[in-house]
Amino acid sequence: MVEAVVRARGWVLDRRPTPKPFDFQIMLGELWMLVGAVNSGRRELIYSLAGLTEPRAGRLELFGRDVARLGPRARAHLHRWIGVVLAQPGLVPAWSVFENLALLVRYHRLAPDGAVEDHVVKFVESCRLPRAILDRLVSDLSPLESQWIGLLRALVIRPRLLLVSAYLPQETLVAGYGVWTFFAEVVAPMRMAILVDAGPQALPIDAETRLLVMDAGTLLAAGRARELAQHPDAAVRSQVRFDHA
Amino acid sequence: MAATPSTRGWRSIESLGQATRQLPEGVLEELDFLAVVLMSAGSMPRGEWPFLIQHVWQQIYFTAVRQAYLFTAVGAIIGVLTAFPLIVFRIEDPHLLGRIMHIMMYHQLNPILATLFVAGLSGAAITAELGELRANQAIEHLVAMGVNPHSFFVLPRLAGMAVSLPILVLWLNIGVTVGAATMLSLYQNVPPTVFFRMCLAELNLGSLALTGGMVVMQAIHVILVQTSRAFRVGAYVDIPRTLPSAFARSFIGCLIITLLFSLVRYG
Repeated sequence: MVEAVVRARGWVLDRRPTPKPFDFQIMLGELWMLVGAVNSGRRELIYSLAGLTEPRAGRLELFGRDVARLGPRARAHLHRWIGVVLAQPGLVPAWSVFENLALLVRYHRLAPDGAVEDHVVKFVESCRLPRAILDRLVSDLSPLESQWIGLLRALVIRPRLLLVSAYLPQETLVAGYGVWTFFAEVVAPMRMAILVDAGPQALPIDAETRLLVMDAGTLLAAGRARELAQHPDAAVRSQVRFDHA
Repeated sequence: MAATPSTRGWRSIESLGQATRQLPEGVLEELDFLAVVLMSAGSMPRGEWPFLIQHVWQQIYFTAVRQAYLFTAVGAIIGVLTAFPLIVFRIEDPHLLGRIMHIMMYHQLNPILATLFVAGLSGAAITAELGELRANQAIEHLVAMGVNPHSFFVLPRLAGMAVSLPILVLWLNIGVTVGAATMLSLYQNVPPTVFFRMCLAELNLGSLALTGGMVVMQAIHVILVQTSRAFRVGAYVDIPRTLPSAFARSFIGCLIITLLFSLVRYG
């Protein structure tokens, strides 16, 4: 049976004017793209799911557990299964790339102490990134490299939910290996639920892509791009553009 | 429309009231932050312990060990400066000299000077470092991925500083005593051994505990102010604005702590 990773009921984002409540759920293995105009509430939705902002109202279940009923420790424990990529890479500049990637692995004890290095090195190599990057200081990285390491930091913990609220790096560090290929080859096999608010052109949208269409802080419609293209609401149809090829 | 004298008067009273309210509000805010930090210690996952130990040692190393030479040298200069008025006033009684050193230097001035240094050096570094992590969203990322920012970033610095500041005050006291002893032996013919003995004779457990408590409270205050200010940083431009205000607030707070402890001790 497929597990619901995120289930939100009566979710009201904290913004003015107060938006209408909405429900949605994301199952394990699904990739959802948030679409909507600027200031439609996409960013706020990601932040509220990540626990960085409080919603005005609503109930959230993560991995089948009601978040409101959990204490701080249990909530933090639950968040170890969430990978987050925000607008800025959010790395510790004074640390090396390895230290940044190993931090959450050590903190959540995802690998035995002696095996952390191996865990991180294998992961970086599986992402086709040069191993030498691990020894570099984050402050010496280019913005593109920082973006990639930020994405890798969210993935190295093998999350069950990946929340992306950033422009994904469109250029590649390794020739012929862009973010689209990366998602198809590395992220998809990890089998997680993914919610991306990555702006236009972040990931390819085709007829089968699942979309959450947002406007004025509320969810207008959810479904596959092909279905939403026929939606009776013009506001929904205007946000659904996909590559028919 | 120009304000009438009575309106201006009421506004002044209102401003005065607001200014008076700021102090207790600031204290409550700080206590609230301390409570959050202490509570975070109770919910630390096992994986965080190695980070806590590592970061506490780093804090002690950077604050107390690496600054030891500087503090001893500064202490010696202050000791020389302290000795000058004693020489000018021809105070030669070793017992009185020991009392002056205790009341003026060990109990009040040295802890304040040490705190001033620490707030300027380590405190500013902490605010800048954490402010940068706030501005580049590193803290937000880690929070969203299950890391408690209070136990991960504040607690080790709090523990490290609570250990480091008493050590630094000790270094400063040693420097001041040696500096003053050298000058007094040169100009007043007070033998250094006699001076050291008099300085030590005034030491007692109660006095040590009171000074130790005061210094630990000052260390806690400095870290709480610097980290809470850093956590309020929204963008990189806020960091240079936060640094001087955090420094001034920590220093004023430390002065008030010293004043309260002196009232308990002598009042």
